[in-house]
Amino acid sequence: MIATAAYNEAVRRHFADPRHAGDLQKDHDLTLVADVSESAEGAHIVMSAGIRGDTIAGMAFRVRGCPHLIAALELACRILTDQPVASLENFDSANITEELSVPVEKAGRILLLEDALATLWAQYASAED
Amino acid sequence: MSAAAVYLDFAATTPIDPRVADAMQSCLSPGGAFANPASIHIAGRASAALVEQARQRLADLLGAEPHCLIWTSGATESDNLAIAGAAGFRAHRGKHLITMLTEHKAVTESFRHLEKSGYDVTWLKPDADGLLAIDELEAQLREDTQLVSVMQVNNETGVIQDIRRIGEVCRARDILFHTDAAQSVGKLPLNLSEMPIDLLSLTAHKFHGPQGIGALYIADRPGCKVLPIMHGGGQERRLRPGSLPVHQIVGAGTAAGIARDEMADDLLHAATLRDRLWRGIQDVPGILCNGSTDHVYPGILNVSVPGVEGESLMLGLEPVCAASGSACNSTSGESSYVLRALGRSDALAQSAIRFSFGRTTTKNDIDVAIERYRWAVDHLRSIAPLHSPGC
Repeated sequence: MIATAAYNEAVRRHFADPRHAGDLQKDHDLTLVADVSESAEGAHIVMSAGIRGDTIAGMAFRVRGCPHLIAALELACRILTDQPVASLENFDSANITEELSVPVEKAGRILLLEDALATLWAQYASAED
Repeated sequence: MSAAAVYLDFAATTPIDPRVADAMQSCLSPGGAFANPASIHIAGRASAALVEQARQRLADLLGAEPHCLIWTSGATESDNLAIAGAAGFRAHRGKHLITMLTEHKAVTESFRHLEKSGYDVTWLKPDADGLLAIDELEAQLREDTQLVSVMQVNNETGVIQDIRRIGEVCRARDILFHTDAAQSVGKLPLNLSEMPIDLLSLTAHKFHGPQGIGALYIADRPGCKVLPIMHGGGQERRLRPGSLPVHQIVGAGTAAGIARDEMADDLLHAATLRDRLWRGIQDVPGILCNGSTDHVYPGILNVSVPGVEGESLMLGLEPVCAASGSACNSTSGESSYVLRALGRSDALAQSAIRFSFGRTTTKNDIDVAIERYRWAVDHLRSIAPLHSPGC
């Protein structure tokens, strides 16, 4: 059985109340959508960023994954909302890993989050071109 | 265990019966039966008498002769001793062995170890209900087949195999038949005096006894023997060396006696609870019951739902303590090999939850499980991608 003691309070809080879970309002200058999955691990992320000017005006996600991944996505959305778009490129997941006490064996799940953010940034850069 | 926890993981282990704990405590108290039962002095003989009394109680539960029972540390050791011991004893006759893909790891890993040692193992696949087709077994038997091992009740699905029929097929060909009965002893009626079973593994903690004590039944008939896999003193007919843990054996014997007396009530109670649980969740969209619904021990209900991830489902279930389809080796995140052998997809196997319950489970416990399961599935589906691969 999975030991639920493996989840710290932050994971439990974001898991139970992921405020950014769902779909993004469509009232932004530009809407970016990343759809990434790791079939071997069964995790699947759809992450959206609404851009207004050069600011991330809103973020949302959908996810099928473990509690750490759900919490990591929620935390990332909270951190990135109202930040410059360039934050997508420079996002450092180490703080999230630390705050959520993500176990080493789940590092791959957090890489999936980084993949999603990288995809969003690439879309933005492409749109700017 | 947290006071708020709702424990529905009886297939993993059962809460120790207070009457068992009292019996064990009497051994552990000052003046209790602490002496080594192998010692020939008065204190040792007192311990030995308790050991034999417990052996008799366990034999009565099984319909077996007491001298056919060897105390072990649990079902894993019993499985290892039965499989490696029987294969070794019969090696001069042949090296073909048969088991199923859905056996407990204690069995599958024992066979894999033998495969590496030069034995030829046939791995039988169950049907979609988890049942073994007897004609499939018969088709795989060979002149050099020496041992067949099929568990009675599957630890993940609760599916009950027809071990009488399997035993008959084996007995007719002088092939040893072993069954891992860890999930059935003390729960389902069993009379070994009229069953064609040569070797049977059990453990006390699955029927409200203590952890760390089990037994291996070895039928008293020609050609049915095992070689020891451990070496030391001459305890347990020289098959299982080591000082016997008197308090644990007394606990196992007491638990066996209680199980025998209360089995009918326990079974009826489990069936009532299973029906209540299934009725409470059967309308969850897409839910599937894993394994046969006809040939199943009623103390286990294993269900899967598409579109949710097992580990998150487990956290959403709190305070309910159940087991996940990614159980046992949780760090790997690997989905249940048992459910995949039944043809479930990785995603469905990974979303599986095994609820298991018994004597001390209340209707309120089941109602909490129903409420939490429904909430967890709704919650996880509400945040899931609208279309996911594998779902």
